[in-house]
Amino acid sequence: MIKESYKQKDDDELVMSSLEGDKQAFGEIVERYQKLVARTVKSMLGDSVYSEDIGQEVFIKLFYSLSDFRGEAKLSTYIQKIAVNLTLNEIKRRKRFFSMFSQKGNNEMHEFDVPDYDNEEKKDASELVSKALKSMDPKFRMIMAMRMLQGYSTKETAEILNLPLGTVLSRLSRAREQLKTILGKL
Amino acid sequence: MKVSDFKELLIRSLDKESDSEEACRKIEEAGVTFNFRDGFRDRVLDKIYFAGNAVVREVEFVRNLNHVFYRIALTGVAAILLLLISIFLMQGSISFNSFLGLGDSYDESIICLLTGN
Repeated sequence: MIKESYKQKDDDELVMSSLEGDKQAFGEIVERYQKLVARTVKSMLGDSVYSEDIGQEVFIKLFYSLSDFRGEAKLSTYIQKIAVNLTLNEIKRRKRFFSMFSQKGNNEMHEFDVPDYDNEEKKDASELVSKALKSMDPKFRMIMAMRMLQGYSTKETAEILNLPLGTVLSRLSRAREQLKTILGKL
Repeated sequence: MKVSDFKELLIRSLDKESDSEEACRKIEEAGVTFNFRDGFRDRVLDKIYFAGNAVVREVEFVRNLNHVFYRIALTGVAAILLLLISIFLMQGSISFNSFLGLGDSYDESIICLLTGN
């Protein structure tokens, strides 16, 4: 159980405490940002044990690179960048693996697991997003996940994905068209 | 929210001008959530702090290896350049024979030696 005092600390204080070896402080960072990481990783990779492994890897990598974090960007952006890089690496790894053993090189996603909802409308919404994400081209899927599920602005998306703003804008417009087509069929 | 309205919301969230934070909030309210299994935090902390020593050693090893590799690579490149320059100065060219330390005049004697003719 995380002490209440940790919940009131800001990110910089938690980073400092974690660097001094405070396990609870790092635990609070994990607690605070696990949802953000889950959205990125699961929206891109689907719901599988691999997604959780990548999620854990994000925080392990964060832990070992905390001393490099200078506080110039927000901690959430820093974590998001790690999550995006590890997720894209995993997609590349899966593509290589599938192209080695199967002709279906692009089938790198696992099935999404739609949680049990008591509300039918919520279930429909969740299923719809899962199906749409699964059908999207991976490079548009990342833009869609960042924008739609994380609420990042176009500028923030460009910064995190390390892409020029123009590229993000053009992908956004193409993703929108692709999504329209996909949703039309669902 | 009706399915058709929700589809419209999803499409609108990708508009350049739309308020992405607002759209994201509405999508989450509609029931779209992504979470890890319960106890995720504890599993991460276990990996870092209990299995951590092995990971630390591994990270340290890779870091040291990288450090040593760069030093060796730089020294190696410098040595190769020096070797090339010295060969060029001594032999006047950088041919395959010069690399082996053989002058062109030795070719025939080597063929004689190997073939017996």
